[in-house]
Amino acid sequence: MSAAAPLEVRDLTKRFPVGNALRRAHVHAVDDVSFELRPGTITALVGESGSGKSTVARLLARLYDPSEGAVLFEGSDVSRVRRRRDVLRYRSKVQIIFQDPFGSLNPVKTIRHHVERPLRIHRIVPRAQVEEHAHELLRTVGLVPAEEVAAKYPHELSGGQRQRVAIARALAVEPKVVLADEPTSMLDVSIRIGILNLMLKLKEEREIAFLYVTHDLASARYVADDILVMYAGQIVERGPVEQVLAEPLHPYTRLLLAAVPDPAKKAERIEPRKGLAAAAVDPPDGCRFLTRCPLAIDVCSRITPPLVEAQPAQSARCHVTAPST
Amino acid sequence: MTALVEETVVARTREATLLELRQLSVEYAVGDRPVRAVDGVDLEIRAGEIVGLAGESGCGKTTVANAVLQILRPPARVVGGSVLFRGEDLVGKSTEELRRFRWRNVSMVFQSAMNALNPVMRVGDQFADMMRAHERISKRRALAAAADLLELVGIDRRRLRAYPHELSGGMRQRVIIAMALALEPELVILDEPTTALDVVVQREILQQVQDLQRKLRFAVLFITHDLSLLLEVAHRIAIMYAGELVETAPAERLAANAQHPYTQGLLQSFPPLGGPLTRLTGIPGSPPDLRDPPSGCRFHPRCPHCRPDDIVLYLRQTGERPLLREIEAGHQVACHLVAGGEE
Amino acid sequence: MSQLDPTIDLSLAAPPRRARGRLGLRVPGWLVLLLRNRKSRTGLAMVGFMVLVAVIAPLISVAHPTDFNLLAARQAPSWHHLFGTTDQGSDIFSQVVLGARRSLLLGAAAGALATGVAAILGITAAYSGGLVDEAVSFLTNVFLTIPPIPLLVVASGYLKNRGMGTMIVVLAVVLWAFEARILRGQALSLKSRDFIQAAKASGESTPRIVVAELMPNMISRIAAGFVLVFYIALLTDAGLEFLGLGDMTKTSWGVTLYWAQTNSTVLQGEWWPFFFPGAALAFTVLGLVLLLAGIDEVSNPRLRTERRQRRRLLLALVGGRLAARAEAAA
Repeated sequence: MSAAAPLEVRDLTKRFPVGNALRRAHVHAVDDVSFELRPGTITALVGESGSGKSTVARLLARLYDPSEGAVLFEGSDVSRVRRRRDVLRYRSKVQIIFQDPFGSLNPVKTIRHHVERPLRIHRIVPRAQVEEHAHELLRTVGLVPAEEVAAKYPHELSGGQRQRVAIARALAVEPKVVLADEPTSMLDVSIRIGILNLMLKLKEEREIAFLYVTHDLASARYVADDILVMYAGQIVERGPVEQVLAEPLHPYTRLLLAAVPDPAKKAERIEPRKGLAAAAVDPPDGCRFLTRCPLAIDVCSRITPPLVEAQPAQSARCHVTAPST
Repeated sequence: MTALVEETVVARTREATLLELRQLSVEYAVGDRPVRAVDGVDLEIRAGEIVGLAGESGCGKTTVANAVLQILRPPARVVGGSVLFRGEDLVGKSTEELRRFRWRNVSMVFQSAMNALNPVMRVGDQFADMMRAHERISKRRALAAAADLLELVGIDRRRLRAYPHELSGGMRQRVIIAMALALEPELVILDEPTTALDVVVQREILQQVQDLQRKLRFAVLFITHDLSLLLEVAHRIAIMYAGELVETAPAERLAANAQHPYTQGLLQSFPPLGGPLTRLTGIPGSPPDLRDPPSGCRFHPRCPHCRPDDIVLYLRQTGERPLLREIEAGHQVACHLVAGGEE
Repeated sequence: MSQLDPTIDLSLAAPPRRARGRLGLRVPGWLVLLLRNRKSRTGLAMVGFMVLVAVIAPLISVAHPTDFNLLAARQAPSWHHLFGTTDQGSDIFSQVVLGARRSLLLGAAAGALATGVAAILGITAAYSGGLVDEAVSFLTNVFLTIPPIPLLVVASGYLKNRGMGTMIVVLAVVLWAFEARILRGQALSLKSRDFIQAAKASGESTPRIVVAELMPNMISRIAAGFVLVFYIALLTDAGLEFLGLGDMTKTSWGVTLYWAQTNSTVLQGEWWPFFFPGAALAFTVLGLVLLLAGIDEVSNPRLRTERRQRRRLLLALVGGRLAARAEAAA
């Protein structure tokens, strides 16, 4: 089977300060998150806005530093490395793709610039071969004719094409891990499948470990092998994607499933309740889903439920459906 | 199949036609060549009906909505066709007549309208402002009416005193919907009402809209790029591509028997939540630049059925624009491959 | 009206990057934009004219500016001396025309230096954050609180060498902080844009991000800053010289004005030693200000008031609401 997981996240926590010097509080954007990404698999990180999923991706891309916890890459903790050489080495193995195809490319630079820069920074190929290699990358992501596309500026391409450029840029360093932060949510519906299929192809051909951040359960099912469901900064359920979607343990997962438009089934009514998926400021102990949960019992308001493996390979954070014995 | 359909197709056709677009065409005068954002669109909406208008970015659906309310601003203008509301053509009406018509007969929830709320004014004051722009009533009465409307959309009356940033995205959107219903219009246009919202909030808003529609019986023109929403919510669905209407059908017919290759491609773009998982293909390519649209059938560069080996058909597809033809009751398609029911 | 009214905004892909002028020349996009805007077109023409004058100055000046001829002293403008003569008989036209060289060169150099320093410090501070940002901000604040004119007066008073180089440095030192703060602000808002984060994630170094990724996206603000410092430097330098604090041996507008002042020429009814250098200065500064306004309008479309709107506004102010309504209905 495949080697040890290239990327492992342990007890990752990120707090952002809010308020002023007089009343300093913290938003627990990411709280105690642990998982691993294995080569040749796509792991979906699903949640609504503010749940912390994008923050997790950015933490893994080392665009933020964690407040607590560790990010282990090939065994060693990279979350606090400072030396440029070590950071550069990490960046040559772990890449990120952003949500907004219109914002992730520099408007005053050509496509060639975007794809060639990583090649030059990390000296992936000798200088003489950089241009041809860049064209090759563009062809890999389906942008042909590569020479023409390379000469264009971002505003001359469509959203789907720009996203493919972003993928080409990420592939340039031949990464082991690619973090895709909602890569299709700002694209037209008919184009999304193309990008998702490209991800599947790259996963199979290059054994890349993908983290697919999304709020769309259906696309998570389409591409991912495993799923992590996030709510208010915590992982509330995890497991193989088919298993979790067929038999969800956590009430939030069930709520998500009920909310997704699915013409194939009769729509269930959901009851609006108070509460947001967004991370709270200095949350108290107890389950964060409490205010929206139809199953809540007494202990839910006092003790934060731990993540418990209630079914083989499937864990949930719920006193009722995944009680810790 | 569609959860919402309660009346039969036959019963609905007896309802009066509220809005009719006849060969509507809208152009933007940009640069040397004008852009036809909407080209010869025919659409009918009956009283109490929910009609969905689906299409991708740049297909012209928002322009259609703006044309209905006659709020197109230069460089956009209507260059052909008519917008008939209860038989009266809105194109060419005076500003004063249109002012009386807007919001009272037809209102609209704009894209990202929830972000258009003035951040430094209380919600109630904005409500009152809007109502008093359309009717001569006192501020007190306007606020009272606003409170009633908030309750109608499931928001506590006391929230009138809140500022927009104190409300969540979903609540703000419901405020906007309430404002759109303030004068009890007969037709409400919703332009991507849930796009910026999370899936759970989206479901809540959709439920709200359906509840309100059942209670107040207004017609809805629901514009979105998310066809799966329409399949659940709409009675009839119209598909737009590159400024043209390519298919119209009752929701269940569209889901079961879509005829236009673009519609079929769109339906193929939604990964299923249940059932078997197969590789989907989506639609290759991207929507065309309307400054220089493809000749003949605008979808032909992306169409799997457009191949040069069938030369006669190919010439038609690349040279002749397909017309909207009715192939069965209430189901119309604009495609050279489908010709008026016969093969 | 309700703010829920939409403004129909059609954003098609931008027009082709290089517009081909009637001569088939490839005119860069920014130049086209500047030429299209009335204000910047006028400003560009005015400044351009001055630059031209400065360039051909040696060819058109009839006499050496410091030549004096007491016989020809205090003469009013004539064909022989287009701008008249000073009390010592020096030709004012030559002084103005050659003085343009110094003024323009000095303004441009001070502008470039101040803007360059402001850009590098401000943008680096914004992107790096942390200690670097705090250090630079502190520095900026210190320089901002120093009153420029007194500093300049004191510096000029004490400095032995009052040559152009010194002046340029002194002006840049006084004027950089203001721009630095503005550019830092803009860079801060750009910093969180995904393409900057993407460059960082690709492994780009901070200097490269500042110069190659951030700066190219801030060109319009940097250009505007340059023009601003240019005309402030121009005015300040002329002002200093007028006060007698500049290099009195060199030919410049300020020096001419200084001599005009100390010789009390106006009291004697001789307006020309004042008028011509002053007009030249005013003309150049006006050109720069118009250019600046044009750059601002081009960069921020919301500042562009359409003609009809402007007319209506004017009518409303002058003719009352009725007139405005009549105009609106038209």
